[in-house]
Amino acid sequence: MTWLNSHPLTFLVFAPTLLGFLIMALPHSLGRLSRMLGFMGALAVFVLSLAWLLGHSGTGATIFIERAPWFTLVGLPVDYHLAVDGLNLWLVLLTTFLVPLTMLGTWNSLKDRIGTFAALFLLLETGMLGALMAQDLFFFYLFWEAMLIPMYFMIGVWGGDERRYAANKFFLYTLSGSLLWLVALLYLANKAGGFNPILMGQAASALPFSVQCWLFISFAVAFAIKVPLFPLHTWLPDAHVQAPTAGSVILAGVLLKLGGYGFLRFAIPIFPAAAMHYAKPLALLSVIAIVYGALVAMVQRDIKKLVAYSSVSHMGFVMLGLASFTVIGTQGAMLQMLNHGISTGALFLLVGMVYDRAHTRMIADFGGVAVKMPVFTAFFLIVTLSSIGLPLTNGFVGEFWILNGAFLSGFGWGRLYASLATSGVLLGAVYMLWMFKRVFWGPENKDEDSGTHHLHSDLNAREVAVMLPLVVLILWMGIHPRTFVAVSEAPVANLLREANAPPVRTFVLKPAVHQAPAAHEAGHEGHAAEPAAHEVHR
Amino acid sequence: MNLTPSQWAALLPLLYPVVGACLVAIMSLDKDQATTKWIRAAMYGTALLAVGATFWYLTDLWTTGSQPAFYQLHMDRLAQFTGIFVVVAAALTILQGWDHFHQEGWVKGETLALLLFSVSGMILFASTTHFVALFLGLELFSIPLYALVGTVRARSESAEGGMKYFLTGAVASSCFLMGGVLIYGLSGTLDLAIAAPVLAAKGLGTDPLVLVGAALLLLGFLFKVSAVPFHQWTPDAYEASPHPIAGFMSVATKGVAFIALLRIFPVAFRELGVVGVKMQAVLAVLAVATLVLGNLTALVQTNVKRMLAYSSISHAGYLMLGFVAGTPAAFNGVLFYLVIYLAMNMGAFGLLTAFGLVGEKTTFDDLRGLGWKRPAMGVSAAIIMLSLAGIPPMGGFYGKYMIFRELVATGHVGMAILGVLASLVSAYYYLRFLVALFLQSPGVEAERLASDRPAVHAPLAGASVLVCAAIVMAGGFLQAFLADGFARRALVEGLGLLR
Repeated sequence: MTWLNSHPLTFLVFAPTLLGFLIMALPHSLGRLSRMLGFMGALAVFVLSLAWLLGHSGTGATIFIERAPWFTLVGLPVDYHLAVDGLNLWLVLLTTFLVPLTMLGTWNSLKDRIGTFAALFLLLETGMLGALMAQDLFFFYLFWEAMLIPMYFMIGVWGGDERRYAANKFFLYTLSGSLLWLVALLYLANKAGGFNPILMGQAASALPFSVQCWLFISFAVAFAIKVPLFPLHTWLPDAHVQAPTAGSVILAGVLLKLGGYGFLRFAIPIFPAAAMHYAKPLALLSVIAIVYGALVAMVQRDIKKLVAYSSVSHMGFVMLGLASFTVIGTQGAMLQMLNHGISTGALFLLVGMVYDRAHTRMIADFGGVAVKMPVFTAFFLIVTLSSIGLPLTNGFVGEFWILNGAFLSGFGWGRLYASLATSGVLLGAVYMLWMFKRVFWGPENKDEDSGTHHLHSDLNAREVAVMLPLVVLILWMGIHPRTFVAVSEAPVANLLREANAPPVRTFVLKPAVHQAPAAHEAGHEGHAAEPAAHEVHR
Repeated sequence: MNLTPSQWAALLPLLYPVVGACLVAIMSLDKDQATTKWIRAAMYGTALLAVGATFWYLTDLWTTGSQPAFYQLHMDRLAQFTGIFVVVAAALTILQGWDHFHQEGWVKGETLALLLFSVSGMILFASTTHFVALFLGLELFSIPLYALVGTVRARSESAEGGMKYFLTGAVASSCFLMGGVLIYGLSGTLDLAIAAPVLAAKGLGTDPLVLVGAALLLLGFLFKVSAVPFHQWTPDAYEASPHPIAGFMSVATKGVAFIALLRIFPVAFRELGVVGVKMQAVLAVLAVATLVLGNLTALVQTNVKRMLAYSSISHAGYLMLGFVAGTPAAFNGVLFYLVIYLAMNMGAFGLLTAFGLVGEKTTFDDLRGLGWKRPAMGVSAAIIMLSLAGIPPMGGFYGKYMIFRELVATGHVGMAILGVLASLVSAYYYLRFLVALFLQSPGVEAERLASDRPAVHAPLAGASVLVCAAIVMAGGFLQAFLADGFARRALVEGLGLLR
């Protein structure tokens, strides 16, 4: 127990892997037992993470830290450095929460090799938690890459008809970004004499600005592929559509977050100047992602593909919030990452539930589902509204903060881009509600081959038990978002202050006092106006 | 001639395999060797014993830290490292050979005897700077391999591959010999380590003839590591030879050639600064060509053995990048890489035996769905293939990491980018192996053939694959121990680098 008291993070990260190996060693015939074992293990990890991490939270400072030198290879020391702080606390909890929930939600979706699937799921959990907690960049890189392996097999073995193509595309696409990133990482580590992000930041600031920019670009591309940011999003629809439900949920719920988190944790703190320099292109790509993702989602005929493209749009908001370099925008991005994990995860689960019954996901195959599955419809409606961003649901708060942040940001482009991005909210309502109308309302589709015809049962107790916590969270995050962002406020403010973010433009009604573009002030006492952001925030 | 104990100590690692080879050759005179189980067991047992004795002896030398010498034969740390490397590869080959030759129905004791001679030649090749000893070693390990490639005489392409390997190999050997002759003629000494200072003192460091001689020597090495453009024999030879022999060639030949290259060019020729620099430029160009050609050609292969052959060509490219960086830490990375590469490639070829692929039936289609039928082999295959692709946390990643890190540190960022792009390409064809094993279900025809096929029981090959997978994983978690405790000590105490 004393070991456990001093190494809670190690336990959380590696316990799933140990269990996963145990399950792999069990024979195939014990698949049902393996599934149960995997679920119980994941649930235990969730309960423990909740108890340990929330029991100690309250401040924005580091909550848990485990650090020891690991090895020194070719002169570069690598630290075994795990930490939970304000930036990753809720993402860690989101991960530990979604894994058992997804296992329960897709309990009967898979028919064969369920034990192996559970084992891979647990290995994936280790990868995700490790990447979220690792503070040493080399250590982070290990988890970041290792995470691909279980996901590759989850898509490739249990996926749809095009699964091999999708799995290879997912793997190679992500690998291409991270391999080039590795070279940048080595370059910087060489200058810094190690992989500690603080040392790397110091080393980076001593480099010529053009070199900093190149290094930032390679970091940004690796993370942007994961987010995925337009135009690096093309792997996502394939992976999402072909992956089994559980894979899609985790892909959308956690893996995409790691991209945004990577920006926040590593790319921006290490290269603040370059990040400011590229804020505009990043924001522009985010706005394109928001609008483009929404427009493409609108014309999809497959519900799952629609949700996949809506992910592109929603993650565009996250990137816009980060690119605004305001406290409220960044906090909004943090919240939007959690929102997207909950809402899109829930959507994928719901699509999976209807697919398990109807064996089709085509919108045209449905119609009048509300009559046949009222409970399901109710849940779907709540999640849809949250995805649209209806006030009182989580989506509203996140998107509002992000738009607010972009609007207030000190960059000259802020207002224009915020206005453009607002259309994404509108388009979101269009594609979601239009899909909802075609699937759930209207006359019942009586066609023998239709999906609606095959819907014989409403949600059972297990499925309701899966959806209920998600709905509670959707409302909780919509009504009292501070629960989820209070802890990240101090680190975010600190990060922006150290990055010399341009001061927010105070909201003035008279255009006469309009100030000159604030980008030039970046070097000066930039954070004088930040309390204004706090005011808006509250 | 009376030898001192120290001289004996230097010679014994070469003698054990030779004695074993002679014993096996005598046993293989038995006419019933293919059918009588005990004589087969005795031959394999003798071979394993010889290899085991060498291993035991070398590890004993390693732990005591003594570095005996027999005239120009230096059984120093690096030679001990090479010896351990080669005998481990040989032991895995023998284990896999038991199952493979049984599956092929082609059991001949000569293969073992030839293998053991080859082992002896390899250890000699990597433990001397004396040109004649070097050439002897080269021929002593090459000639048995020519025969081994063509060993399955029942298959016509086996003879073809063997002949192709032999002819090209003979040309490369004669080039190597010519290079040595030129250096000898100009310097008056056969010891390359002494020739360099002599040439430098005579002011012949940049003499065209010296450059030609060095280039010809380099050609000999590059042929053995199958670097582009001397790689043409590789796919044919690997495809022709029995799986374990192909694995042994891909690992041991490449390994000793790189280690001998390390002993000669960056170390013995250190005095001839210009030659070193010029050869580095040549190596850089050839490394790029090797990476590009090896990886791109591997993409389109349908035969697993040819894919592995091109993959081994591309791995030669990564190792050459280590020489391009040329720092002691990069050589440390090269040796570490070789250790992991030993496990990866012996494992990869062992998998073919473990899955019971025989004859020409070594396409990706023949592997379909087998990962689920033999889960332990499947998991090992996943570990080995992902490691070959350089995905962490497998050992292969750290090998590439060390080499790329030195490339970046010495200012070869462009080469490092090319290297990572090459490993991105390589990920595709390694994944294809896993796609076949796990992501594709066996076709109806394949199922029928599988039921026709004699039951696959390859316990020894399976065990050797598990060992390889374990080494690969260990390389990922005990990387510092392997790199510092094993590879680095060979460099520091063997060559005096890195001090």
